[in-house]
Amino acid sequence: MKKTRRIETMVELVRILAAIGIAYLIALVTLFAISDDPVFIIRQFVLGPFSSVRRIGSVINLAIPFTFTGLCFCFMYAVNKFNLSGEGIFMFSGCIVTLLAITLGRFGIPAGILIPLLILCGALTGFIVSLIPAYLDVKFSANIVVVSLMLNSILTFLSIWVLKYFMRDPTIGSLGSYVLPDAARLPSVFGKFRIQAGVFVALAMVIIVAVLFYKTIFGYKMRVVGSNQHFAKASGINMTVTIILAQLVGGAFAGMGGACEIMGNYDRFKWTASTQHGFDGLMVAVLARRNPILVPVAAVLLAYIRIGADVVNSKGDIPIQFITVIQGIVILLVAAEEFMGRFKKNLIYKAAQEDMMKDRERETREIMADAEATEAGKESVE
Amino acid sequence: MLTLEWFASFGFSVLRLSTPLIFVGLAAVINKKAGMLNMALEGMMLTAALAGVVFAGLSGNVWIGLLGAVVFGVLSGGVLGFSSLSGKTDLYLTCIAFNLIAAGGTVFVMYLLTGEKSTTSAAIKAYTIPSLKIPLIDRIPFLGNIVSGHNLLTYLSFISVYAVWFFLFRTRLGLRMRAVGENPQAASSVGINVKRICYLSFLVSGVLCGFAGAFMSMGWVSFFMTNMTNGRGYIGLSAMNIADANPIGTAVSAIFFGFSDALATTLKSQGTGFPTEFIEMIPYAATIIALVLINMVRINQRKRIEKGQKREGS
Amino acid sequence: MPGEVLRMENITKIYSNGFVANKDITFWLNEKEILALVGENGAGKTTLMKVLFGLESAQTGHVLVREQPVKIENTLDAIDKGIGMVHQHFMLVPSLTVAENVILGIEPLRKGTLDYNKAIEMAGEVAEKYNFNIDPKARVSDLSVGQMQKVEIMKVLIRGAKIIIMDEPTAVLTPQETEELFEQLILLKESGHSIIFISHKLEEVKRICSRVTVLRHGYCLGSYDLKDMSESDISKLMVGRDVVLKIEKDRPKPEKVVVNIKDLTKFDAQGKTVLEHISMSIRAGEVVGIAGVEGNGQSELSDVLCGMGGFSAGEVLINGTNIQGKTVHEIRESGLAYIAEDRMQFGCAPDMSIRDNIIADRYFKKEYHKGPFINRKYIDELVDRCIIEFEIACDDRDQPVRMLSGGNIQKVVVAREFTSGSNFILANQPTRGIDVGAAEMIRKMIVKKSREEKTAALLISADLNEVLECSDRLLVMRKGRIVAAFPQANLVSEEVLGEYMLGIKTMTAAEMEDLL
Repeated sequence: MKKTRRIETMVELVRILAAIGIAYLIALVTLFAISDDPVFIIRQFVLGPFSSVRRIGSVINLAIPFTFTGLCFCFMYAVNKFNLSGEGIFMFSGCIVTLLAITLGRFGIPAGILIPLLILCGALTGFIVSLIPAYLDVKFSANIVVVSLMLNSILTFLSIWVLKYFMRDPTIGSLGSYVLPDAARLPSVFGKFRIQAGVFVALAMVIIVAVLFYKTIFGYKMRVVGSNQHFAKASGINMTVTIILAQLVGGAFAGMGGACEIMGNYDRFKWTASTQHGFDGLMVAVLARRNPILVPVAAVLLAYIRIGADVVNSKGDIPIQFITVIQGIVILLVAAEEFMGRFKKNLIYKAAQEDMMKDRERETREIMADAEATEAGKESVE
Repeated sequence: MLTLEWFASFGFSVLRLSTPLIFVGLAAVINKKAGMLNMALEGMMLTAALAGVVFAGLSGNVWIGLLGAVVFGVLSGGVLGFSSLSGKTDLYLTCIAFNLIAAGGTVFVMYLLTGEKSTTSAAIKAYTIPSLKIPLIDRIPFLGNIVSGHNLLTYLSFISVYAVWFFLFRTRLGLRMRAVGENPQAASSVGINVKRICYLSFLVSGVLCGFAGAFMSMGWVSFFMTNMTNGRGYIGLSAMNIADANPIGTAVSAIFFGFSDALATTLKSQGTGFPTEFIEMIPYAATIIALVLINMVRINQRKRIEKGQKREGS
Repeated sequence: MPGEVLRMENITKIYSNGFVANKDITFWLNEKEILALVGENGAGKTTLMKVLFGLESAQTGHVLVREQPVKIENTLDAIDKGIGMVHQHFMLVPSLTVAENVILGIEPLRKGTLDYNKAIEMAGEVAEKYNFNIDPKARVSDLSVGQMQKVEIMKVLIRGAKIIIMDEPTAVLTPQETEELFEQLILLKESGHSIIFISHKLEEVKRICSRVTVLRHGYCLGSYDLKDMSESDISKLMVGRDVVLKIEKDRPKPEKVVVNIKDLTKFDAQGKTVLEHISMSIRAGEVVGIAGVEGNGQSELSDVLCGMGGFSAGEVLINGTNIQGKTVHEIRESGLAYIAEDRMQFGCAPDMSIRDNIIADRYFKKEYHKGPFINRKYIDELVDRCIIEFEIACDDRDQPVRMLSGGNIQKVVVAREFTSGSNFILANQPTRGIDVGAAEMIRKMIVKKSREEKTAALLISADLNEVLECSDRLLVMRKGRIVAAFPQANLVSEEVLGEYMLGIKTMTAAEMEDLL
C-alpha cells in the first residue's frame, strides 16, 4: 500500500512537469514557426530572463504578485468555490492604497508604520470585497463565477473613477495619480537586481498561509470542507462560515498583492485596465495543486515564462498574448484527470496485483466453507 | 430632448445591442438543457468573431466570413466537449482555461495574420453583413424605426429563438437532450448515449456562438478588436439563468440586458455630467442585481410550496 | 423444460471488491406465471436481476429464453429478447409527458421531426390494451406515484417485453394503488406475459404469485409452489443465519436513561409518513438493537438522532437535552457518537489522512489545540494509540483513508467515534461490507463499551447475527413504527423475528409496554 501512495505522488509530480514541459514545447515550436530568426528568438525566450541582472530581478518581481494572487486562489480552490474576484481586488486595492498613501503622506508618518498600515488596508479591502460574491452565492445561489467576474469589471471602473476624481495629477500627460510619498514606497533590495522589498512580504505570507492551511484549526476545517462536504457536516463543522471565511481571507491576500505591487514597482497609480494578475494566480494555484508551499515555485516558473515572452516581444515584436494561450493549455492539462490517468492506473494495478492474488486465495477458501455451511443449513430447514 | 424620435432610436439600439446576447443566451440554453453550464461562451464568441473577419478578408466574401465564424464556433464547442467529457476535466476549469486561450489566442492569431496587436481594422478589409429594411413595416411611424433596418443577424437572432424552441421541443435530438439533462440515468436506461448527446449540445451551441461572434465583428462593427466581447458571454449565460433555460424567457432577459447596455451607451454619449465610469458599470451591476433578484423570488416560491406541503402532510 | 419462458442456471456473480453476490443460483420462470423472488436485503435478488437485464455480467452461468441459450451483455440485448425491467427508483423525466417518456429512445418521426400525434397514439394504444387509465398527454411531474409506475410499465410493454421484472413495486404505493397494480399484473399475466415479482411483502406474494424462489446470502434455497406454503414457511426460509456467531457477554445492568424518544413523527418531502409515533428509550449500559427490513424508517430515525434531518412532531432527548432544531455540532456535544450508514460519504474524508479523519469531531476541544494552532504532538500520540488499539492496518497516520481496505476505513471511523468520550453510540449498519475480522472487533467493542463504560448504544443493522447477538433489548421496525420489542435479543428465534419483520405479526402497545 505504501507503493500506491508513492506512485500517486510521483505521477502527480510528473504530470505537472509534463504539462509545463508540453506547454513550453508548444511555445518553442510556435516561436520557431513564426519567427524569421528562430534560433535567436528561442535563445531570447529561454535565456533572455537570465541575460542581465535586471532581467533576473524582473522575474522575481513578477513572481511577487503571482504569489499573492496564487495564495488568494488557493483559498478559493480549497473550498471548491471559483470566486475569481482576486483580479478586481488586486486593482482596486492598489487604487485605495494609493489614495490613502497620498492622503496620509502629508502627515509625515514614517515608512516603518505607513507601509505595514497600507498593506493592512489592502488586505482589508480584499477581505470586504470578497464578501460580495461569497455571500451572494451562499444566500442566493447566484453563480459565483459570473458575479465575481462582473464585480471585477465594476471594480475596474470604480478604480478609474477614483483615480480621475480624487487623485489625478494634472501635470502629467497620461492618466495617473499624484506621486506616492516616499514613505509609502517599498525600497528596492539586492542592489543591482532591483527586486522590490515586497518579496519579503510575499515570502512571509507564503509561510503564514502554509501554517494556516496545515497547522491551524481554521485551515483544517477548510480542508475538510473542501475534501468532503457531507462528512464536514456530519462531523459538526459549520460549513457556511468556513466557506465564506476562506474566501474572505483569500480576498485579503489578493488585496495585499495589489498594495505591494503599487508600493514596490510604481511611483504612481496608473492602471487604466485590469492587470490580469488574477488569472495568473489561478494558474499558479492550479499548478501548485492547492498547496501553498508550492505556490512560490509555480509563481517563479510562470514569471520566468512571462519575462521570456516579454523579452521576445521587445526583441522580436511577437505579442505576449501567446503566453495566455500556453497558460490555458497548461491549466487544462494539469487539471485533466485523464492526462496520464491511464498511466497511473496501470502502475497502481500492477502493484496491487500481488495483493489481489492473496485475497483471491482467501476468498476461495471462504466460499468453500460457506458452501459447506449452507448444505448443513439446507438440511436443517428440510 | 426626449422626443419620440429619441425613443425610437433608443429602441433600435436596444434591439441591436441585444443581438449577440440573444444568440449567446440561446447557446447557454442548449447546453443547460443537456445538463451543463457552459461558462466558455465568451471564448467561443471571441474565436468566432476573429474567424469571421479573417475568412471574409481572405476570401473577399462576407458570407464565407459568416461561414467561417460558425465553423469556428462549432470547433470551439468540440474542443470544450472533448476536454470536459473525454478528458474528464472539471467543467468550470475547462471553461476558464478555454476563455484564457481564446483571449490570448485571438490576439496572437491576429498578429500572425496581420501584424496588428489591437485591431484588424487597418489590415483586413472591412466586410459587413448587410442590413435589411422591411418594406411595409418601415413605414409605420415609431415602431417602424425600431424594428426595421436592422442587420440580418439581428433578425436571425429573433428567428433563432423559434428555431431553438423548435429544436428542443419538436425534434428527436432535442427531446433526447432534454431527457439527458434532466435525468441521464433515465436516458441511458433506454439506450441513449449520454456522452454523445452532451457533445452534440456543445456543437449546436457552437453554431449559435458563431452567429454571435459574426455579429460582433461583422455586424456591429466591421473589424475584430482585442477582447471585443467584453463579458457578453457571461451576460448571456445569466440571461439563461434568469429564465431557467426557457428559450423565450432567455431572449426577453437578453433584451433586458441589451436595454441596460443601450442605456449606458446613450448616457455616455449624451454627456449628462454623471461620471462615465458609473455608467459603464451599469450592464455588469444589472447582471448581478438580476441574478440576485430572480433567486430571491425562487427561494420565496420554494418556501411557499414547502409550507403548503407541510400543511397537507400533517 | 416446456412451458418455461426463462431459466437462469448456475449464476455466480462476484463483484470486483471480492463480494460474492450470487452463488450458483438456478431458477426458472414459466409462461403466464407471476413468480415471486424473495430474500432479505443483501440476499442477491437485485444483483441477479441486474445480470438478467444486462446491467451486470456474471462470472459463470447461462440464461435461456424459451429454452434457447442467449447472451445478454447490455440492456439493449435484454430488451431485444423480450425482457423488461420496472426499476424500484423510477427512470422517468419529470418535465416530459407520459407519451414522451414512453417513446423515449424509439421516437416516431415524420419528415424528420417528432411525430407527436403518433407518439400519443402509440402510448394510448398500450394504455388501452392493458387497461391503464392514463392520459398520454399528462406531464409526468403531475402524476401520482402509482401512475408514474404505470408509465414505467408502459415503457416496458411498448418495447414488446414478455418477461417483466418488477423490483419491489409496492414499496412506494398506497394500498389503493397496490390493488390497482395487482389487477394490472393479473391482466398482464392472462394476456401472455410472465412476471418476476421481487418483494419482501409476504401477504402480496401470497396474493398474486403462484410460485416463489427464495434467496438467502447469495444462495438459492429453492423454488416452491405457493399453494403449499404459508407466510411463516416462507419467512423461515428467508430469515435465518447459516452460521450462528455467539458473542460472550455479561448480562446488562442498565442505569439511567440516556436517550428518550417520545412520540416521534416525521414526514418526508412528499408528505408521506416515514416515522410514526416512535417512543423508546435507551439506558446507560445497554445495547438496543433495531431489526427490520431496510426502508422501514431506520435511516430516517438515524438521521433524526444525529441531527442530519429534522422531524415534525415529538420529543427527542439526549442526556436531557432536547435536540430539536439543534445543529450536528450541538448534538454531538450533548453526547452523541455516530457511525454512519454510508461511511464514504458521511463517515470520512477519503482524500485526507487517518489523523485528519480521527480528529474531525474534536479539533476544537481544549487539548487539541494551542490557540489557533493544532496541537500536533497530542494528536499524533492519540492517533498512534488509536491505530494500535483498533488494529488499523496502514502505513502511517498520514496515509489517505481511501487507500485502506473497507474494514480498516471503518476502523478509523470507529476509532474516532469510540474515543470521543460520548455516552451514546448510534451505529447504523456498522459492519456492512467489511471483512469478518474487523466486523467481529467492532461488535465486541460495542458490547464492551456498554458493559465497562456504561455507554448507551443503538444498533441498527440488517445483519441478523449482529442484531441478535450484540443487542440486549431488541426492537423491530416496520413501516415507520415499532412493531415488536424483546427483552433479550439472543433468545429470539429467527422464525419469530422474521414474522415481525415481514409483517405477519405485530405486537400491541400493551405487549411492548415495559420493553421500549
